[in-house]
Amino acid sequence: MPHKRLYYQLIPVVFSLIALAIWQQPDFFQRAAGVNLPKGINPEFKQVLKIDKPCVDLHPEWRLAQNIDGVKISESRLCEPDNPYDVAAFVLGMNHISMPTLMSTNIAEDALIKSDDLDGDGDPDIIHIKLEVLELNGATPDSPNVFPQYEIAPGIMPGMWAFSPKLRGMSVKNFRSQKPNAILRAPSPVIRVEQGDKVYITLENTHYFPHTIHFHGVDHAFKTSKGGDNDGVPITGEKAVMPGKTRTYELQPRHAGTMLYHCHVQTDKHLMMGLAGMFVVEENRPNNWVQTFNVGAGHVRYSSAAIKEKYQREYDLHYQSIDKNLAKTIQESNDIRQISKNMHRVYNMSASNENYFLLNGHSFPYTLRDALIIAKPDENIKLRIANTQHSSIAVHIHGHKATITDYDGVEQNPIAQITRDVFHLAAAQRLDLNLQTTNDGLHSYGEGVWLFHDHVETAVANDGMSPGGNIALMVYENMLSATGLPNVRPDALDDFFSNRYYAKKHALWGKKEAGTFPPNTLHLILFALLVGAIVGLIFFIFRGLLRAD
Amino acid sequence: MKAFILLFFISLPLCAAMNHGGMIMDETGMIMNHNPDILPKDCPKISKEVDLTIRAGHKFTKGFEGKMFTYDKRDWQAPGCARVNVTFINEDDIRHQFMIHGLPGYMYPKGMFTIEIYGKGQKTASFIVPSRDYTYYIHCEVSQHTEKGMKAQLKVGKGSGDLDSILGLTSALTPDIYPINNTQITWISMLISFVLGVGFILYLGRLLRIKLEQ
Repeated sequence: MPHKRLYYQLIPVVFSLIALAIWQQPDFFQRAAGVNLPKGINPEFKQVLKIDKPCVDLHPEWRLAQNIDGVKISESRLCEPDNPYDVAAFVLGMNHISMPTLMSTNIAEDALIKSDDLDGDGDPDIIHIKLEVLELNGATPDSPNVFPQYEIAPGIMPGMWAFSPKLRGMSVKNFRSQKPNAILRAPSPVIRVEQGDKVYITLENTHYFPHTIHFHGVDHAFKTSKGGDNDGVPITGEKAVMPGKTRTYELQPRHAGTMLYHCHVQTDKHLMMGLAGMFVVEENRPNNWVQTFNVGAGHVRYSSAAIKEKYQREYDLHYQSIDKNLAKTIQESNDIRQISKNMHRVYNMSASNENYFLLNGHSFPYTLRDALIIAKPDENIKLRIANTQHSSIAVHIHGHKATITDYDGVEQNPIAQITRDVFHLAAAQRLDLNLQTTNDGLHSYGEGVWLFHDHVETAVANDGMSPGGNIALMVYENMLSATGLPNVRPDALDDFFSNRYYAKKHALWGKKEAGTFPPNTLHLILFALLVGAIVGLIFFIFRGLLRAD
Repeated sequence: MKAFILLFFISLPLCAAMNHGGMIMDETGMIMNHNPDILPKDCPKISKEVDLTIRAGHKFTKGFEGKMFTYDKRDWQAPGCARVNVTFINEDDIRHQFMIHGLPGYMYPKGMFTIEIYGKGQKTASFIVPSRDYTYYIHCEVSQHTEKGMKAQLKVGKGSGDLDSILGLTSALTPDIYPINNTQITWISMLISFVLGVGFILYLGRLLRIKLEQ
């Protein structure tokens, strides 16, 4: 056995080697560039690259002005116009449409019944409406994907809910599609009735959680004529409507205006999930058949008599936001007990964020397909704006100043009406605007493709990726293509219709992002050899010291 | 006159129940691709009358916690070339469907046969299945009803295996994850096992060394 001294003599060698190793340490993870910078690269994207057409143009025949069962439906030059047969059914009621019209809709025959001209003025005054609750992008036990796949923007599918008119038949676009048909969508539809109508709204709870309907700002008694709950608040009225059950609410609104309806069960969560819609009471006029549902909001293809007196066009603009963490709770399980816990107790609304911002159920660039305001010069355009977000919105229309005619469904004294270019709406507020397209340097600066959006800048991005959110366009007819898209620079929209862009895997402005340096392999090998030698030596010394005499 | 008016009103639902493009519709629901008599190419004659009474509703999820809507039975059988007469009973106040997929497209557009009932009620309709052994997919397509329990199968002949995610029959293709209820006993027993394992190896080593020394 060698003497201990030998081992002691080796200790300084170890320290020298350690010093050498520290001095000659290579760059492991990053290093400063010298004269030559690394080459540019495209970000790595694992999914299959998918680029949508800006307009798929499924139903060009839906755009035309047409007469269906005697209902004169106005032209809608959008890429995705509303189904005119749906519009006819919503104007007449399911009990007054022809069989071919019924066959061209996906609506149940008892979804909307209009009857009894009580005041003898030529329109029905008893309206029976049936609403269901639908889920978009929910979990399924048969696939790791969500179902039905409703994209608010390319590749973005947050879990959402919506009220819908009672439906029938297939819910998907076609036999092999995972996408919902045109009527299964966000937001909850705009409901329109005439002032003085006796309206019976039945919530048929097809969903797996309890829900109710609360009519916000719409004239309604606290209890129904039979003493049942009529305010939709489980704290003050009856228990919520359980899954598989129904409840009928009764209204006879005496006051006209733009109002709201929403679920009042776990309201913070259920409202943000999408169970909130606009409720419009139209002024009473003779022979005034109103379009009871405006599915997906947006362009009203059959305006009421009172609106037609003053305006050439009418648009419903429903602003809505989504917290991605709340949306996720319905996508992670098919056990309703787990979903309930994750949504109602684990998720904390006081720690919420708004990540997605929608106008009429879509975020930019899909707002280009169905949320444009289309205009001609010298028109009066009625805009009804509702904010069901948690945060306030500050809507700005480029190139125009519009006049606020109504606040929360109450007309502003005409001499006190304000004309301005930013419209502020706190949560649940509504504004009615008169957007005049007179090129006078005040109301309009002339024809163009004018952006309109919420000027709260968090809302013009999809989870922080801009442009997105509730950006939409006001387009003059002479600048609109045959497929309902604005005539803009040919490459202006290319990037946004790929799933890569909003996955944040697309370097902007056609540039590549900074690449990486290759590792200096020889240096690394030498360093590793040195470290190995040090460890071996330490082991040798320890063992030797233990075993030496 | 009164009798006439009465008759008129009674006959209204019958008038309303018209057949259009394979659909029989009225204000209580619809039947799509009802086929009591046309035989599939491979069936010379009806082999058997099979009467199925299928109930749908929330109450049938009893015993399946965590689900919301289902059928009373989710595994049905019929021989090849049978005429299946389905009596579909909806026991809820909301809409439910009996929708079956995979039937021959040349007889049933989109390969489907559907009975849909808009609320409480029942309807009966028929379809004739081809001779091949096959498992047909039955479900309700109302938003989230399939996903939360309303899925079933019809095995014709020997069938072609079971479908996934059928309540009480097969597990989900993408199953849900639940926590495991570990207690201190779990950890203590693991610790003891670990110590025993180490001890066992050391003991073996010791035996080996003794043997080598001998």
